[in-house]
Amino acid sequence: MPQTPVIDLEDISVTFRRRLIGGDAVQAVRGVSLSIAPGETLGLVGESGSGKTTLGRVCLGLLRPTGGAMRFEGQDFGRLRQRRGQLSVVLQHPEWALNPRLRCGVSVAEPLKILGTPVAKRREAVARMLDQVGLSPEFADRYPGQLSGGQRQRVAIARALITEPRFILFDEAVSALDVSVQAQVLNLIVDLQAKLGFAALFISHDMAATRYVCHRIAVMLKGEIVESAAAETFYGTPEHPYSRALMEAVA
Amino acid sequence: MTPLADIRDLVISYRTDGGALQALDGADLNLVPGETVAVVGESGSGKSTLGMAIGRLLPDEADCEGGTLRVLGTDVLAADADSLRRLRRDTLGFVFQNPMSALDPTMRVGKQVARAMGDRPSREEVEALLRRAELSDPGRVLRAYPHELSGGMAQRVVIAMAIARRPALLIADEPTASLDASIREKIMATLNRLRDETGATLVVLSHDLRLIARHSDRLAVMYGGRVVEAGGVETVLETPAHPYTAALLSAAAGSERPGERLEPIPGTPPSLLGRCEACAFAPRCALARDRCHDERPEPREIAGRRVICHFAEEALAAPGSERRA
Repeated sequence: MPQTPVIDLEDISVTFRRRLIGGDAVQAVRGVSLSIAPGETLGLVGESGSGKTTLGRVCLGLLRPTGGAMRFEGQDFGRLRQRRGQLSVVLQHPEWALNPRLRCGVSVAEPLKILGTPVAKRREAVARMLDQVGLSPEFADRYPGQLSGGQRQRVAIARALITEPRFILFDEAVSALDVSVQAQVLNLIVDLQAKLGFAALFISHDMAATRYVCHRIAVMLKGEIVESAAAETFYGTPEHPYSRALMEAVA
Repeated sequence: MTPLADIRDLVISYRTDGGALQALDGADLNLVPGETVAVVGESGSGKSTLGMAIGRLLPDEADCEGGTLRVLGTDVLAADADSLRRLRRDTLGFVFQNPMSALDPTMRVGKQVARAMGDRPSREEVEALLRRAELSDPGRVLRAYPHELSGGMAQRVVIAMAIARRPALLIADEPTASLDASIREKIMATLNRLRDETGATLVVLSHDLRLIARHSDRLAVMYGGRVVEAGGVETVLETPAHPYTAALLSAAAGSERPGERLEPIPGTPPSLLGRCEACAFAPRCALARDRCHDERPEPREIAGRRVICHFAEEALAAPGSERRA
């Protein structure tokens, strides 16, 4: 029997209005339907302005779609407050995502603090989480400025995972990293998902990294998904001409 | 052929609160006219320091501790203010990573480009220059402020300014890193077309091995402040002789088969506090043995390229070295 998808989008569209200039509308997302099962990573590729990030914000519940329906684990999304700890995000620049004045341990524990977990449990969870992302427990006492880019991204991933969310959005999570560090973080994402079974949306414009971590890939162009196929397809020849154009950057 | 630029055993360090940080630890690079050279390396490998040193554009904290750097016969590091200005104006062109911070946000694009050209150019001349950088609507771009342009267009404006005085040497530091994947190819193609038109030498500094390899003639791989392997792009990529080059290739996503796991390079890049008296890559190298930790490897010529490794022959023969990029 098929599992209930964690994220289920049906015919989602988002329209932004530019009020200052006469109110002409920009359709950022047009009629997108997709679903992500537990333990599955869906890749979302496309050029900037294609609506990838807008769609990501819809999945996180940060943006109400103008049209269409969104379900989270089979239910109506409801209020954002009810979804605390169930969804999470890892962004492109770890140096902006972490508070430079907080020790990493405090940053990682913050989501648990908001959920009201007692201090002793929080400390234990931070140590366990840092271990899972491949950092020694001493990193809890360091400041983000003392870490390398790859280590910072690991801390950001630890923070995203500490509440054991059902869904994680990776928005260009490896784009700012060096090639060798990129491989470490990509492997980390694959391993953690195999262990924890979260659903993930991996937004990127890097086809090579995307097809490596994802099970399925959706290609976005001007607010629409023009092709959606298994990641293996993108090691061969995808159908849509735009997907093929993206592939040329890899081959 | 007379070299356009000749960099030998260059040592540059930055003064920091924690003591001197060595960015270049004896870097060698030779540039001949009309070629595209890709300088590849991770952050901290010293590639930007090398690029900036060519125009002596380093910050005040930088000290040159040894080596020579000549561009068209001029000793850049010892040049006086006048000849340095002449060199920067007539011989060098720079394209930086972020076009938005390279342009003045308060000045219309046309005026900035005109200033880069000098000699009070006419509007037609400015438009012609922008058209050469493949901007399709130069009339509109001229009147625009930088924030009204897209990233790709702004980078083309920066390229137009860099080629305005027909430099013999064009240095592009991560020219595509802040741009979309779909535009990167086009920008690289534009740079190469302009190189062909003007006969200039193009040096591209990047960490994106794959992109850069398609658009270059020669490849210089940097690690720990030295050029560890330099040679023809195909020679180096198809049969890497330095273990670091091989590791870099197998770490990059894109060359793997479905279901195959990427091999990250273990450990972290070094930050040097002084001259490295061993092989800087030894702590992360699979082939390393005692000699690598004790003796500083010197450049050697092997199989058509220059490489800095005691055991380059073994790296050449190692399985997986035939991996294609």
